[in-house]
Amino acid sequence: MTRTRRPGISRRSTLALMGAGAMTVAAPWVARAQAKTIKIGMPTILSGRVAQLGTSSRNAVMLEVEKVNAAGGLAGRQIEMVIRDSKGQPQEAARVARELVNTDGCELLIDAEASSGAFAVHEVARDLGVFCIHTNSETSALTADPKQHIPNAFRTARQGVHDSIVGGSYAAAIAKAKGLKKWATCSPDYAYGRDTTAEFTLYLKRFAPDVEIISESWPKLFQPDYTEVVTKILQAKPQALYSCLWGGDLTSYIDQANIYAMFGQMEVFAVNMADYTALTVVKNLPKGIHSGNRYIKTFPATPENAAWGDAYKAKYNEYPTNWSWENATAVMLMAEAAKKANAADGKKLAEALAGLTIKCPFGADGTVTMRAEDHTLVGYAIGWGTTIPQEPYVPEVKAGDWKTIFELEAEWKKSKGYT
Amino acid sequence: MTELEARRAETLVPARGATTVWARYRDVLIALIAFAVLASLPLFTGSKALLDFVIRCSAYGLFATSLNLLVGYTGLTSFGHGMFFGLGAYSFGLIMQKLGVPIPIAFVATLAITGVVAAIIGAICVRLKEIYFAFVTLAFQMLIHSTILSWASFTGGDQGLRGGIPRPVFLGVDLSNHVHLYVASCALLILGLLAMRQIAQSPFGYTLRMIRDNAGRASFLGIDVWRAKLTVFVLAALFASMGGMVMALFVSGAYPEFAYWTISGEGIFINMLGGVSTFLGPMVGTVLLLLLNDTVTRFTEYHGIVLGIVILFFALGLRKGLLDFVAEWFAHRREAGEGR
Repeated sequence: MTRTRRPGISRRSTLALMGAGAMTVAAPWVARAQAKTIKIGMPTILSGRVAQLGTSSRNAVMLEVEKVNAAGGLAGRQIEMVIRDSKGQPQEAARVARELVNTDGCELLIDAEASSGAFAVHEVARDLGVFCIHTNSETSALTADPKQHIPNAFRTARQGVHDSIVGGSYAAAIAKAKGLKKWATCSPDYAYGRDTTAEFTLYLKRFAPDVEIISESWPKLFQPDYTEVVTKILQAKPQALYSCLWGGDLTSYIDQANIYAMFGQMEVFAVNMADYTALTVVKNLPKGIHSGNRYIKTFPATPENAAWGDAYKAKYNEYPTNWSWENATAVMLMAEAAKKANAADGKKLAEALAGLTIKCPFGADGTVTMRAEDHTLVGYAIGWGTTIPQEPYVPEVKAGDWKTIFELEAEWKKSKGYT
Repeated sequence: MTELEARRAETLVPARGATTVWARYRDVLIALIAFAVLASLPLFTGSKALLDFVIRCSAYGLFATSLNLLVGYTGLTSFGHGMFFGLGAYSFGLIMQKLGVPIPIAFVATLAITGVVAAIIGAICVRLKEIYFAFVTLAFQMLIHSTILSWASFTGGDQGLRGGIPRPVFLGVDLSNHVHLYVASCALLILGLLAMRQIAQSPFGYTLRMIRDNAGRASFLGIDVWRAKLTVFVLAALFASMGGMVMALFVSGAYPEFAYWTISGEGIFINMLGGVSTFLGPMVGTVLLLLLNDTVTRFTEYHGIVLGIVILFFALGLRKGLLDFVAEWFAHRREAGEGR
């Protein structure tokens, strides 16, 4: 009888707490704004090792969305971006993408995920039928493989196979001119590194048949020490070296190889060098490294591209990355498609987008096209040049030829059994 | 925590006759009610996010509870339990993609594969104790993870299993339908939890507790400690594999991250959050972690800091998992009441 009131939490306050808890949990599921604004969901990587790239994707999207909104929005509807971190985990990317559509009421998706995350989001797009543009996955199979094809998904990123064709033909021309026959490769040991290197050497040998690969190194992804790799390459004494190391791996590799004066002893082809994230971080950028363009404001050498790069730098106090232009292009294409369809509805947008050509600062000829047959971006600026240690870093870029790319890409697709 | 359980055992032992029957079927009844509640949820809410949440809870809940069979009940702290989660997801996905057999067959085949792999790995690992056991399991996990990455022609390498997992209809169940998938996940979760509960409450389960508390004594009593440890290692792997299959169905794919050490780390974290001395502790931990993760990532990209603070709170503040804390609090209350 004395036990009517005990110290501690009373039943009433427990109930109140539970109620409050339930409200907090239920609130996001209840909220479903369907106003005049259109919500675009964007899962990307905002934490961890590649957070810098995810952030640069978000920056580029916001830069473009502001312009679209100022011009009246997507078919008259103001865009509201909902951007979430996936931590670079595919299961999180899938969850976030589903949540963005099912809970936050996003009608369109910009999938700014890399590699496996993009495939996870692709399955969500297949499942929910939601309009989706992949902006960062460079894996060719994502759009080339007909098993992956769905009418509501697109890609506005560069592609491994395009890079390899252009890189292979560029390197072959130099190999012939300078008589570079003995080559070594050094690439990260995962699917991107292996595939890209295999494709590059395939096209290099195709254009310069007497090239031979005398040494291959496969450092681990995110490896801190490259001494063994550098010495192995030096011992093999190749005339040229190919590498698709990227980001922090590439910069530490160059810093460490500089100690051995490696860059004076061979021609180096590093496809991912000409990106500001790498160019500005390397301590002593050697002169004369050959690189593919990632994003550089001097290529294409047009006022539009330079203006875009400067506007980005003015707003965010750093230069855009490869992922920046890819994401900006996605917004530009959506805006044009919405104009053409006079609707922001995902289905109509997808119909308008397939085969659409727009004016774009990142186009090889001032335009880019969303190819109708496989929903992937073509006609973007792609080329190779050599580095100098200060701005503009890569003064002259030799543009790749899209006619050759198309021919060899078709052949490649056939060899993979995609067509 | 041992005292707590010993006390519970005391209360169970004298109860014979009608109460034993009740005790035996009590868990089944609770499971049935829980399933009925979960399965009827789609009738009351149209929220797909809530259903997604429960599906993910099923995957992680099965995984974390199975880990607790090792950590909490047997005292084997495995740092590599995630390998079976990944193995389940990959085996199931690959069987469905390459062979196109009905889902139940793929399910059973996956369990068989996991069982064999777990028996081989377990036979080596359970001979070791404490930190050595933890690190060798971690090594095996990295071995499996590296195999998935390098065997790209078969597993898709770091891109994962692409192209979706086909989900043909079986016995009227269509797992590509969201509600069907939801109910199936709930069923697997409840069945899995019930089975693990039976294992934990069986004489075998009490043998495990004895091994945890004093393996030497168990051995002197005539228990083959190695065999008991191996058995629970394989059993736990099977339930982790079930969790992996639910996850594979949810994302319609399998990714190397499923077999990475971070998944094992999350499992340990869930157990720390929820508590290891009560059976449902890991389940509570799962719900807590996923809720935290989902709400915190909505608001900030610095979720690492928030989760870190929560871990610190549990590790330094409560010094035990949430359900352990609640259970002890109740025990304390009861004691205080009786003392009066």
